[in-house]
Amino acid sequence: MTDTTNTNALTDQKLKEAYFTASQGQLIWQRFKKNRSALIGAWVLIILVLSGVFAPFLTPYDATIAGRDKEYLNGAPQVPSFCDDNGCSLRPFIYTTERTRSIKTNFRWVTETDSSLEGRRYLTFFSEGTEYSLFGIKMDTHLFGVDKGFIHIFGTDSTGKDIYSRTLTAINTSMAVGTIGVFIAFVLALAIGGVAGYYGGWIDSSLQMITDTVRTIPSIPLFMALAAFIPDTWSAEMRFFFISMVLGLIGWPTLARRIRTHLLTERNQEYVLAAQLCGAKPSHIIRRHLLPSFTSYIIVDLVISFPYMVLSETALSFIGLGLKDPVNSLGVMLQNVTSADVLLNYQWYFIPVIFFIVLVLAFVFVGDGLRDAADPYSDNSK
Amino acid sequence: MTRLIDVENLTLQFDTDEGRITAVDNVSFTLEAGEVMGLVGESGSGKSVTAKSLMKLNPSNAIYSDDTKVSLHLEDGSVDVMSLQTSTDLKVIRGGAISMIFQEPMASFAPAITIGDQMVEQLQIHTDMNTKRAKEFSIEMLDRVGISDASERFRQYAFELSGGMRQRAMIAMALSTKPKLLIADEPTTALDVTIQAQVIDLMKDLVKDFGMGIIFITHDLGVIAQTADKVAVMYLGRLVEQGLVRDVIRNPSHPYTKGLIAALPSLDDLDNPLTPIPGDIPSPLERPPGCVFSTRCSSIVGDICSSKIPSFSEVTKGHDVACHIYDEGASK
Amino acid sequence: MSDDVLIEARDLSVHYPLRGKNLFGPKPVVKAVESVNLDIAKGSFFGLVGESGSGKTTLGKALLQAAPISRGTVAYDDGDVKFDLTKLSNDELNEYRKRAQLIFQDPYAALSPRMTVRDIIAEPLEVMGLTSSREETDARVREIAEKCRLNLEHLRRFPHAFSGGQRQRISIARALVSNPQFVVADESVAALDVSIQADVLNLLKEIQQEMGLTFLFISHDLSVVAHICDHVAVMYLGRLVETAPTRELFENPRHPYTKALLSAIPSLDPDDTKQAQKLEGEIPSPTNQPSGCKFHTRCPYVKDICRSNEPVLQHSSGGHEVACHRWEELMTP
Repeated sequence: MTDTTNTNALTDQKLKEAYFTASQGQLIWQRFKKNRSALIGAWVLIILVLSGVFAPFLTPYDATIAGRDKEYLNGAPQVPSFCDDNGCSLRPFIYTTERTRSIKTNFRWVTETDSSLEGRRYLTFFSEGTEYSLFGIKMDTHLFGVDKGFIHIFGTDSTGKDIYSRTLTAINTSMAVGTIGVFIAFVLALAIGGVAGYYGGWIDSSLQMITDTVRTIPSIPLFMALAAFIPDTWSAEMRFFFISMVLGLIGWPTLARRIRTHLLTERNQEYVLAAQLCGAKPSHIIRRHLLPSFTSYIIVDLVISFPYMVLSETALSFIGLGLKDPVNSLGVMLQNVTSADVLLNYQWYFIPVIFFIVLVLAFVFVGDGLRDAADPYSDNSK
Repeated sequence: MTRLIDVENLTLQFDTDEGRITAVDNVSFTLEAGEVMGLVGESGSGKSVTAKSLMKLNPSNAIYSDDTKVSLHLEDGSVDVMSLQTSTDLKVIRGGAISMIFQEPMASFAPAITIGDQMVEQLQIHTDMNTKRAKEFSIEMLDRVGISDASERFRQYAFELSGGMRQRAMIAMALSTKPKLLIADEPTTALDVTIQAQVIDLMKDLVKDFGMGIIFITHDLGVIAQTADKVAVMYLGRLVEQGLVRDVIRNPSHPYTKGLIAALPSLDDLDNPLTPIPGDIPSPLERPPGCVFSTRCSSIVGDICSSKIPSFSEVTKGHDVACHIYDEGASK
Repeated sequence: MSDDVLIEARDLSVHYPLRGKNLFGPKPVVKAVESVNLDIAKGSFFGLVGESGSGKTTLGKALLQAAPISRGTVAYDDGDVKFDLTKLSNDELNEYRKRAQLIFQDPYAALSPRMTVRDIIAEPLEVMGLTSSREETDARVREIAEKCRLNLEHLRRFPHAFSGGQRQRISIARALVSNPQFVVADESVAALDVSIQADVLNLLKEIQQEMGLTFLFISHDLSVVAHICDHVAVMYLGRLVETAPTRELFENPRHPYTKALLSAIPSLDPDDTKQAQKLEGEIPSPTNQPSGCKFHTRCPYVKDICRSNEPVLQHSSGGHEVACHRWEELMTP
């Protein structure tokens, strides 16, 4: 009996000591772990990001015009099944489809499905397919494919491009745009907000005026103007970088304001004054006291800025001012959904939307979770 | 004197991330009309939480035990505050029969509304005065608490008043509904000592005029000695000693009370060194079993102190102490 | 300057400019501290008391060169070096900083939450370059932590692991690690529970005697000051109104404000009917100070001269000085 109580007391002691010696990062992580929704959000985020990064492997076809299936335009999703009237099989399969036009169908293109045993096309895994390069390594293995023809588990769009492949690459592109945008915004915000917050006084006032001016620039007209200026000769990649940069240049004021506020508050903390009274130089104070103090908040701010970047890019591409084919993003994929034809008949065009809603929600939950975990760390006052 | 409030077995726990924390453990006391009771304790003693329980003002994660009973005796009968569930029921009590003033007057006045508007609003909720009468009455109250130029001040905002005046305005607002019981939570702690003396005098005056009961929460024994009729000393959620102020201060019986008095720098006794109470107040997560003071007590009787919670013994009539030293037949 | 005086202030004034336009006439200022003459003896525990607006914190900061000195001189002489605080070069300021330190009031805000206790205490040594190796720093930190009765095993912990009293001891250790000569303690026990207060006060007294330090103890709590200081100065609205050895001040207060302050302290004796001199009125705002003697608006003994002329510190008896026009008349026989 005393043994168990002793070991209990010992583990208690160890836990307490661990708590006392835990650095801020560790404490935040502990708190974050307790937040169910934030943890789920984090997992979802990781899965989505990884599927974007490994998109070429996970998807059977090239997401651009080059990989389209001419035979299956505006095709419905082909969901693999295991069993049908002709019996079950271990390997999942889909049916062959064929587009025919004849007098029987009034010369309209019609897709016919052959659901006989011969019409089955079996799924293959780790199949050979089009070549791609991932992290500089040339590979041609894809996660899954089909023994004959094409498989479109999310269907196709009006030119025959596989929506599933496009979804995953779109996630990748949006994340890339978001990352570049956030990075540029962060660097600018750190410089401007940091200087304003640290020095205060008239430097702060003038920088604030600049920040507010940039913030009031209406973004849609600005992009329209910029879109008009982008020469047609620019490649899709250059366009991609340009859009990301512009997003970052528009996005820095909010972040700068946050950084400035953090610095202004932290700068007046008594422990900073204590360091100054020892004759500490500003570089020491910034490095030792101010930067660590707002690292956690800034990470939260960055995570929360991400969805805004993604959504801004989506909106811009949707109205045609952002990215264009062959660079692929959700906005690009939604460019063609506004016709009644699509809305009434080809609802699978909207499947990627679900992915993006989940992505944004995941970011929001993780950001909220981080913020909740970081905030209570401010000292417990009596 | 009429009995105003009976608190029996008040036990309160908070449901937090770190588990169930006991904030108040089995506290019982009574108060008569016109009586001033001091509730003394340091941080973690649970004094504020106890007072807020009388109006069920604690946050929603507060869990009261089943045998907690708070009987408020009003003109038209007695009410068990614990049985009131909805905020409509409690609204009658809060600000009506029981009023509360806080330590930080800036925090209890809404910053964007004038003092006058807030006082009138309070009166309109609890009485049937019309606006004009409420305004007149509020200015009278402001004057009564010693605020000069009361009609001027009526139209001002909280930040325009000094600390002492804000506190007086808060007292005026609290008393305008003629409550039976006034709970004062550290009302003078944030004030300068010369202003504190004025506010204490004011409160004593008002007790004489209005005949209400006051529960005066503070950590300052000196203020209690000058203001209160009886005192209850709390430590880590438990009542350790209570009785008339004269008795408790002249003849402190509980080791904690003795330690508190010995640690006080008193002007009457400049030669004596300050004797602190050794150790630290345990965190509420680590409440000692048995007597809560046993971890710091220098007069431990034996193993019983760390295993059994002491019950109250009488020192003299009206003066009770919860300590094993005074148990019947306890050996020194 | 006599040999045993560490800090000598003459006509020390700290004025803060008020924001506001005043096209004609002098710029409005807040006279946070005005015309203070003070002598702090070496090795003394000097108390500075006052209520809000008295300027006591500002005075303490000025003596550390953490508040701008607008007028007057402050001479520092510890036998080793001599400084005139109003004319310090950057190097001299750094030298002074090694010898004069501050203990803060709020134990929760004064410690950087992201540094271990060891790093917090070591910071002055590292910033001021007082040690040449990590081992030396560690040794110094351990030495001072032991003096302040901190558990050496707790040095790895972060501030959030400690109670208010323990944090205050960490603050004290940090102030003392550079072996200063002069320490300003600004309301260092105000935020602590009474039972812990006594502990920290005893620690301060012990350290002062052991290390031969000079302390300036700023507080609004006269009772605390009475127990621990050997000399006390009372301030009101930026001016020094009375200064005397502790015993003398509490037994024979001469200034009406001091008398009122003493009688306002609630005594532990319930039967004590010391009604003498409860002050009326509020402390005037520092931005709108009365003419003549700053206390005249509340003084029960005010006469015409009080309204027009500001009194200066006059010598009363052995180290006891008062700034009041009528102090001699008002002496209680």
